[in-house]
Amino acid sequence: MTEVSLPPAELDTFPKLLERHRAERPGRPAIREKDFGIWQTHTWGQVAEEVRNLAAGLFSLGVKRGDKVAIVGDNRPRLYWTMTAAQAIGAVPVPLYQDSVAEEMAFVVEHAEARFAVVEDQEQVDKLLEIRERCPGLTQIVYDESRGMRHYTQPFLHHFDAVQAEGQDYNKVHPDFYEDEIAKGKGSDTAIILYTSGTTGTPKGVILSFDNVMKTAANGVKLEGLTDTDESLAYLPMAWVGDHIFSFAQSYVAGFCVACPESSETVMHDMRELGPTYFFAPPRIFENILTTVMIRMEDAGRIKRGLFRYFMEVARRSGIKILDGKPVGMGDRLLYALGQVLVYGPLKNTLGFTRIRLAYTAGEAIGPDIFDFYRSLGINLKQLYGSTEASVFITIQPDGEIEADTVGKPALDVEIKIAENGEVMFRGPGVFVEYFKNPEATTETKTPDGWVHTGDAGFFAENGHLKIIDRAKDVGRVNDGGLFAPKYVENKLKFFPDIKEAVAYGHERDFCTAFINIDLVAVGSWAERNNVAYGSYQELAANPQVIEIIKGHIEKVNRDLAADPQLASCQIRRFLILHKELDADDGELTRTRKVRRRFVADRYDSLIEALYSGAETAYIETEVTFEDGRKGTIKADLQVIDVAVGPGGETMMKKAS
Amino acid sequence: MAAETLATPDTDPASPAPSEGTAAPQKKIGETLLRADNITLSFGGVKALTDISFEIREHEILAIIGPNGAGKTSMLNVINGFYHPQQGRIMYLGAERRAMRPHLAARQGIARTFQNVALFKGMSTLDNIMTGRVLKMKSNIFQQAIFWGANQREEIAHREVVERIIDFLEIEAIRKTPVGRLPYGLQKRVELARALAMEPKLLLLDEPMAGMNVEEKEDMCRFILDVNDEFGTTIALIEHDMGVVMDISDRVVVLDYGRKLADGTPDEVRANQDVIDAYLGVSH
Amino acid sequence: MNPTAIRFGIWILVTPVLIAALGFGFKGLAAVDSSLFFAWGYFIEVLIAGLLQGVMYSLVALGFVLIFKASGIFNFAQGSMVLFAALTMVGFIEMGLHWTLSFVVTAGVMVLVALAIERVVLRPLVNQPHIILFMATIGIFYFLDGFGQTLWGSDVKVLDIGISKAPIIVAEGVFENGLLINSFDLVAALVGAVLVAVLAIFFQYTRVGRALRAVADDHQAALSVGIPLKTIWAIVWSVAGIVALVAGIMWGSKAGVQFSLALIALKALPVLILGGFTSIPGAIIGGLIIGAGEQLAEVFLGPLFGGAIQDWFAYMLALVFLLFRPQGLFGEKIIERI
Repeated sequence: MTEVSLPPAELDTFPKLLERHRAERPGRPAIREKDFGIWQTHTWGQVAEEVRNLAAGLFSLGVKRGDKVAIVGDNRPRLYWTMTAAQAIGAVPVPLYQDSVAEEMAFVVEHAEARFAVVEDQEQVDKLLEIRERCPGLTQIVYDESRGMRHYTQPFLHHFDAVQAEGQDYNKVHPDFYEDEIAKGKGSDTAIILYTSGTTGTPKGVILSFDNVMKTAANGVKLEGLTDTDESLAYLPMAWVGDHIFSFAQSYVAGFCVACPESSETVMHDMRELGPTYFFAPPRIFENILTTVMIRMEDAGRIKRGLFRYFMEVARRSGIKILDGKPVGMGDRLLYALGQVLVYGPLKNTLGFTRIRLAYTAGEAIGPDIFDFYRSLGINLKQLYGSTEASVFITIQPDGEIEADTVGKPALDVEIKIAENGEVMFRGPGVFVEYFKNPEATTETKTPDGWVHTGDAGFFAENGHLKIIDRAKDVGRVNDGGLFAPKYVENKLKFFPDIKEAVAYGHERDFCTAFINIDLVAVGSWAERNNVAYGSYQELAANPQVIEIIKGHIEKVNRDLAADPQLASCQIRRFLILHKELDADDGELTRTRKVRRRFVADRYDSLIEALYSGAETAYIETEVTFEDGRKGTIKADLQVIDVAVGPGGETMMKKAS
Repeated sequence: MAAETLATPDTDPASPAPSEGTAAPQKKIGETLLRADNITLSFGGVKALTDISFEIREHEILAIIGPNGAGKTSMLNVINGFYHPQQGRIMYLGAERRAMRPHLAARQGIARTFQNVALFKGMSTLDNIMTGRVLKMKSNIFQQAIFWGANQREEIAHREVVERIIDFLEIEAIRKTPVGRLPYGLQKRVELARALAMEPKLLLLDEPMAGMNVEEKEDMCRFILDVNDEFGTTIALIEHDMGVVMDISDRVVVLDYGRKLADGTPDEVRANQDVIDAYLGVSH
Repeated sequence: MNPTAIRFGIWILVTPVLIAALGFGFKGLAAVDSSLFFAWGYFIEVLIAGLLQGVMYSLVALGFVLIFKASGIFNFAQGSMVLFAALTMVGFIEMGLHWTLSFVVTAGVMVLVALAIERVVLRPLVNQPHIILFMATIGIFYFLDGFGQTLWGSDVKVLDIGISKAPIIVAEGVFENGLLINSFDLVAALVGAVLVAVLAIFFQYTRVGRALRAVADDHQAALSVGIPLKTIWAIVWSVAGIVALVAGIMWGSKAGVQFSLALIALKALPVLILGGFTSIPGAIIGGLIIGAGEQLAEVFLGPLFGGAIQDWFAYMLALVFLLFRPQGLFGEKIIERI
């Protein structure tokens, strides 16, 4: 079964699709999870039965049509089943980010009016109990893992097994219940509400209908030729639209198997054991993997290192061309084949990339070196551009037309136009229904004729590929009128492995400046190799040699920027290395680890002042939140460093001095 | 308390804050599991322990505290069979225990961890924990050579127990890592896992949180409470961090210069004037 | 592929080739008139003979490794255990037992010896510094040496278990006259390979093996999980005794059973330095390198130095090794955390 087969149109909800899988491929794997060190596989037939019992169980618990069911936890088969089970009886699943603190959860649970919650374990139960008073609507909680739950005697807490058992009994008495309920569902019903993590303001609940999700998922399946022999790894948060499409919707549409890792720390290891064929990861993860590889190669023996260097050079020369089917000389082809045996093959095997047919990345710009590294190994890594409001796909890079700095062509059935202010707008089958209980935001984002504002500034390159520069609202001007594209600059900085995070300032200022977070892994490894002792991030960040290295990187970026007259005004004139890593727990990053620019600016306004005042050092005291919720304070004297700038930046320098 | 749909008559809605679910209100402290009667231990002329008596009760967490050199580790070593007291006796499981070697103590269900982590550094986490199953394995070396298949089945059964412990202590990610390469905090956790693999009746922990940062300490506290709660394991531990001791232990024994100053619940000990004078008030 | 395996491959390839290249340079000039093809065949012949000889060294080194691994003791008595085992074996054969039967009986005797050593020597010395235990093994050396000769006499004896010593010729199609290989060496190599495989499986995959590794790693911790040290030691010494028996049979059949057998322990020393004291594969590879190295050096470099290189070559190689890689090829790498 390698032909792409899309489900017929009358199967317009996921529960209906599941019934089709039960009939057509009952024995094929649907979902796996690693438990107690062993991969446990559930077939489509088993999943259909589990969901059927669960649906009846939830119904017995009081879940009614239109009710919202909050789902919190790591990627677990049972939580995915809960989505389908809720949909089967007309309820709406609302997945939450599992690492949100109680405060963040309270908002979503309250706003979504969730009456029920199905959660993974004690940790999540505790959080829900903590917010109970703020969310009086929440009446029942179902948990999966009973560990630590022995002394929780509250009658509104139910074990997953008990709910399912109840459902099984119910189904015995009412054998037609499940089928009747499924039949009531239709494509225009709400399939799911996904709360956007929100770089600004409170999260918004994006309502997606079955039509939205299924149509986009199916288009993706069709374009990439996914079949039920594919396999993917579900490791990104269930509350994120990407996971919902890649690990849930597309699995249901194409019938392929999804695997859940043992824990968030074992993902890379599980990946290696599993060898998925279809893989999504944000650029950050591809970057981390590459960093790990490079560090391991530094530690490897001389011969191995030599082999690696040599064949990576071969790959750089010809790997991408071979992947894209372009002509390559016989000699290079042979060398590449040899490299495949000696280096690429073993390396891909170690990383779990051996079987990968299709890999996506999105969400942020990916460093060209990183992108090329994977492609030169023969991994078909592609970029796409998407959003929750589009049910993911807006543009995808077609096979053979891959570039590091574009996001590809419009996805199937999607139209794109660039607004006058440079903002990218799209229209298509995946366009969301509305924001839940937020008509103002809906009208702000979606025009009556179905066009959606992405908020991103971009343009079409000559080859018809879309290029994104920055958030439209973030593109600013420095005081002499030059363009200031902070994200663009920050990405360029972050492409250096030593720099983990960068925040650039310059809008309505005389020149551009930046905060830098060093990458503890990369710089730490450098420190170890060079016998530089350090006790903490803070100490390493203040090391003069480290500062010198970062300065070198910034100078290089400045040279690049200076080469482009449009962007020359973005050159970094002064910078400092922050004394702590930006952290989601402190509110500095979103849960998807994007910088909350305004928040950071407010929090560190004294540092920004120092950047523009000409001061050489800046004193800062910061309150930090530890993982357990306790708070502490970090104090530091930070050095402010001046950096040389190329042409185009000089005018500003004069002005500043 | 506001009227709420979730509220129920029999529980206190304010209580279930994180990590509190384990502080079991209905925990059953049972009979005496081990009793030390008038233990005196000396090395040469130096008395490490003088006439110490106390008991460890089933299912409790007992903390042994005291300043450095108070004889805490010596006491554990006596219980564990590393040292033999010159006077006094140990009653264990209702019978007087003769002088014994540590591996016999292990056979009687006493497991322990060490102050400075005593793991098999060249072996993987998994292998380390599997060594904890040595005593639970039935077939001997000769049977192993002859009945290979039966052996594999036994091995798998033990592996299952070990996997549950790995899951319990959340160390899946380091299953195959040689423990010598792990950071200290994780090594301590592996050591605990190995002790748990012995399915001990009595678990002795020698400074389980020494050298850990706050976060690791909290994790370790949670694991200790969970072990006590889920498996009903009796735990005797030595700890310096008073906050930890007062939080997690059911009873506390205070030693000072090889003598027992006091024992009782954390509150009783805290209120004991001798303890305040000799220990709490002075050095901490 | 794991890095150790790669490294081992490289070493085993490079060492003899280097030596050969050296010798070839000199010899090649001297022997311009002989055809190159013949020289290659000869080289390979010498190499194989050396490798097979190396297996014999490995057999002895293995016994050392076992005991060192489990108890950190360098067992000086290993050589005399080899001699004692061989003497006992011959003794039983002379009494009219078939060699297989006397093998079994001798194995039993070696286990008894091991138990006795554990009970009489090791147990009383438990927790003593290693040097004391080392001294004790010197005592055992002399005791076994004397005891064996008292029991069985000190004449040179012939041990024949029916392994043919006839040379065989292989690869006739490839080399002129083919390659000459001693079939006895081949059998010895086979026996060695089987023994190593069994030991490796024993150590790596059985729970006794796991317990052995645990004891080797940390005595105190091993005790606390209930591993009885003395049982483990008894097992280790028994296994070492049986390994000594196998080595004794092989060396005895090759060179006769006599006192000098006890001194082959000295040949095991450079093997251990090369391979690392704690590694079973190390003992094998070390043996192979030493064996091949000294044969090649003797044949190709020997004329240059006036012969008899074989006697000191191994020690030179070991010395060089000590300078550059003190933990040996496979010894546990000394990792220091920063």
